[in-house]
Amino acid sequence: MLLALAQWLALDVRTFSVFNYITLRAVMAAMTALLISFALGPWMIRKLTALKIGQSVRNDGPQTHLVKAGTPTMGGALILTSMAITTLLWADLSNAYVWVALLTTLGVGAIGWVDDYRKVVHRNPDGLSAKAKLFWQSLIALAVGAFLWSHATLPAHTEVIVPFFKHWVFPLGLVGFMVLVYLVIVGTSNAVNLTDGLDGLAIMPTVMVASALAVFAYVAGHAEFSKYLGEPAIPGAGELAIFCAAIAGSGLAFLWFNAYPAEVFMGDVGALALGAALGVVAVMVRQELVLFIMGGVFVVEAVSVMLQVSWFKYTKKRFGKGERILLMAPLHHHFEQKGWKETQVVVRFWIITMLLVLIGLATLKLR
Amino acid sequence: MTLKKRATLALGETHVSVANVMATPNANVRFWIITMLLVLIGLATLKLR
Repeated sequence: MLLALAQWLALDVRTFSVFNYITLRAVMAAMTALLISFALGPWMIRKLTALKIGQSVRNDGPQTHLVKAGTPTMGGALILTSMAITTLLWADLSNAYVWVALLTTLGVGAIGWVDDYRKVVHRNPDGLSAKAKLFWQSLIALAVGAFLWSHATLPAHTEVIVPFFKHWVFPLGLVGFMVLVYLVIVGTSNAVNLTDGLDGLAIMPTVMVASALAVFAYVAGHAEFSKYLGEPAIPGAGELAIFCAAIAGSGLAFLWFNAYPAEVFMGDVGALALGAALGVVAVMVRQELVLFIMGGVFVVEAVSVMLQVSWFKYTKKRFGKGERILLMAPLHHHFEQKGWKETQVVVRFWIITMLLVLIGLATLKLR
Repeated sequence: MTLKKRATLALGETHVSVANVMATPNANVRFWIITMLLVLIGLATLKLR
């Protein structure tokens, strides 16, 4: 909206042309999202507390987490609100990529919202069933896949690009592309949700990965930079940098309230949506494998749960007694059981993500 | 005898936050976020001049 206004004003006052630059609008978007979340945050926390929308804590989780019971949850609504307002303000609303990213995020957020609402308001511990959640996530992911396939104008738009190797590009057929899009969006969405188990653990890596994806989106949308760096040129993808910056800004502001000891949790409404947002942007800028590297913490957390559950079921069936690989899953609880403090686990996982994001960014040049 | 007063509860600013019943990790993270915001403003000066 502001872009259209600036372009109209630029007809008389040339200074307003500066808002045509994606870089400037991305910085402004990050700051706008941050300020909106700061402004709305205290009000939303008071509202959630008043409505008694408090987190229930797993009995089989670490005992130290029992004190967290009752902390307001569904704070992800704050992230989504400020992210959506900011994107609508600063992005080019005639750009289809922006709408796909925004609608995917809000759509998956709605699934998480229903799940949270049933859990904390209806006091239904099961929330939305896992099958129903997966069904709706799959539907959204497949719709995104179909849209991107039908709007692909170059082979590069549907190929898998292997980082670090200049000529390792694998064309995918329709089925392969749909499977990839499905796995990336649904997988990232659930992986971020699994990571969201300690104060600030999920949001900071999300902010870091979103910031890095903003760089990839900017490069993909820039004809000269993409050619120079050997990245696929995707006209219009640069606007996704503004969407990513909005996620980073609103995520940082959310961290203000979510840092240990958290005043609010994001809940499934935030975690599922943010994961889907990262996934959909990675798919649109053709950086699925780079997302796999940069989101390594999310990947390892998800894999830790899968291994723990599979091994337990296998040993129970084979030997009659279930055995565990980790002291507790997801992985962050394992380290807590090993004696690490919650804040130590969180900050160390952030440091690992910073390193992984640097490696991801290095793929821009190293190929 | 004049009564000596302190401008802040403690020095530096981080200790003020902690003295104001903000947990240490909370104060740390909030100061990091403020720094990131300031860095963003700094980066914006690249274009806004």
